[in-house]
Amino acid sequence: MKLIIAVLREDRVEDTKAVLETIGIKGVTFLYVTGRGQQKGRVSARELGEPLNRNMRMQLIGARPGEGLPIDRTVDAGSPLYDDTEFSLGFLPKRMLIIVAYDEEVDRIVQGIVNANQTGRHGDGRIFICPMISALRVRTGEQGDKALS
Amino acid sequence: MKMIWAVIRPESAQRVIKALDIAGIGGITRIHVTGHGKEMGITLGAVHYTEIPKEMLMVVVPDNDVPKTVMIIRTEAKTGPKNTPDEGTIGDGKIFVTYVEDTFAIRSAGKAGGT
Repeated sequence: MKLIIAVLREDRVEDTKAVLETIGIKGVTFLYVTGRGQQKGRVSARELGEPLNRNMRMQLIGARPGEGLPIDRTVDAGSPLYDDTEFSLGFLPKRMLIIVAYDEEVDRIVQGIVNANQTGRHGDGRIFICPMISALRVRTGEQGDKALS
Repeated sequence: MKMIWAVIRPESAQRVIKALDIAGIGGITRIHVTGHGKEMGITLGAVHYTEIPKEMLMVVVPDNDVPKTVMIIRTEAKTGPKNTPDEGTIGDGKIFVTYVEDTFAIRSAGKAGGT
């Protein structure tokens, strides 16, 4: 039994669900998390799809007016950000996916998650595979492999 | 590879993250959780609270970075005087370390080397 933890883009969650369904994985848990990788939360405006002004960026990170931006010092207030300007948002909203699966399903699940999430840009996320010792279904009390089926 | 889960006070999260940053540990996932420890929460006046807000940080690091990472989190998350072996206070949090067998970077779909 393995624990699969993946950190994904929010906009890929629906695709991921669809892929997992076709693989036959039914038990999935999604968490709202924030995170960052080696880029420390840097994204380009191109990646976000729009030239952004300060207000839009404030909304994006959930800052209240007057609070200011936490890290970004690259652009003056009010000036639009153009496509290639990289700026740092710190922790970005992500979705964490947790699946407990049989050992032999792991490869298929990893492949499925990669297929649904790969864009080739930074921020696609990571998948971690950890050992899981046992499981118990609360409704029936079944333990071990039976609790997953 | 090891996965480190740290449950810490929300007010010390920023300090911990900054210190990890300086140590070159960039990849962090942050989750807002609630919980209590063996003290079963806290009583303030007439009200007993069992769901105390905490911040959970998830970091995956190579095996030989584990002691360093744990030490950084411990030093920064502990309340009270810094750089002393003194105990902090109840509610400073806990750090859990668990195995990671495999890591994949979705972007390149290959085996990931770093955190």
